[in-house]
Amino acid sequence: MLIKSNKKIMTIKQYQAARLALIIVLSIIVSQAIIFKNYIIPIFLLIVSSLIMIYMRRQVKEVIADERDYATGGKAALLTIQIYSWAAVIFMFITYGLRDINPAYEPIGLTLAFSTCILMLLYSVIFHYYNKVKLMDKKFIYTAFVLALFIAMAIASLRLFSGEDNWICKDGQWTPHGHPSFSAPAAVCK
Amino acid sequence: MNITQENLANLVGVRRETIVFLEQGKYNPSLLLARNIAKVFKKKIEEVFSF
Repeated sequence: MLIKSNKKIMTIKQYQAARLALIIVLSIIVSQAIIFKNYIIPIFLLIVSSLIMIYMRRQVKEVIADERDYATGGKAALLTIQIYSWAAVIFMFITYGLRDINPAYEPIGLTLAFSTCILMLLYSVIFHYYNKVKLMDKKFIYTAFVLALFIAMAIASLRLFSGEDNWICKDGQWTPHGHPSFSAPAAVCK
Repeated sequence: MNITQENLANLVGVRRETIVFLEQGKYNPSLLLARNIAKVFKKKIEEVFSF
């Protein structure tokens, strides 16, 4: 009935309060689910809460975000990325430098390094899209070409660096896994 | 023209705060927003805004 009538029923303050409540409930449930090593509930809840947020947003009669918010959001996002990247790089060096003291620091440093790389890569791709690609006449062809190139490079990298084609130690003998381009290791296989 | 900030914001599709900042000269609108506001007042952009 509500959807059919298409009447907006929420004010922006009600929407903000409902969103805050939803985030709090979601955070509590997700953190508890992770503690109990249940990863299905957080994924399911994230999907459901996203749908609820979209629905609630459509019920708001006022403008939630306008051009000033988008401009501010862009600046805030850029600054956030810069701050995070610097902090992550500094902590990465610290944790990686301390890996001899505690080996547990190494994965922390690597996670920080890779997350920074992914964040900057994503930012560059999205920036390039909005700055150039979106304004192109043949953006679909260009996007499809770049995506195909990216997938091909990802597959090639996986093939080259994943260690798929390698020698594995099995029953005291070096056994080829895939098609390794190099000879079996000289070390004794135990 | 007798119009509230809220009404003007709804007419041009922005938040009331944006109208407040525009009035205070703390925000430069996009050309589209400037045109829409001028349209509401049935005036030219340069009559509503001074750059």
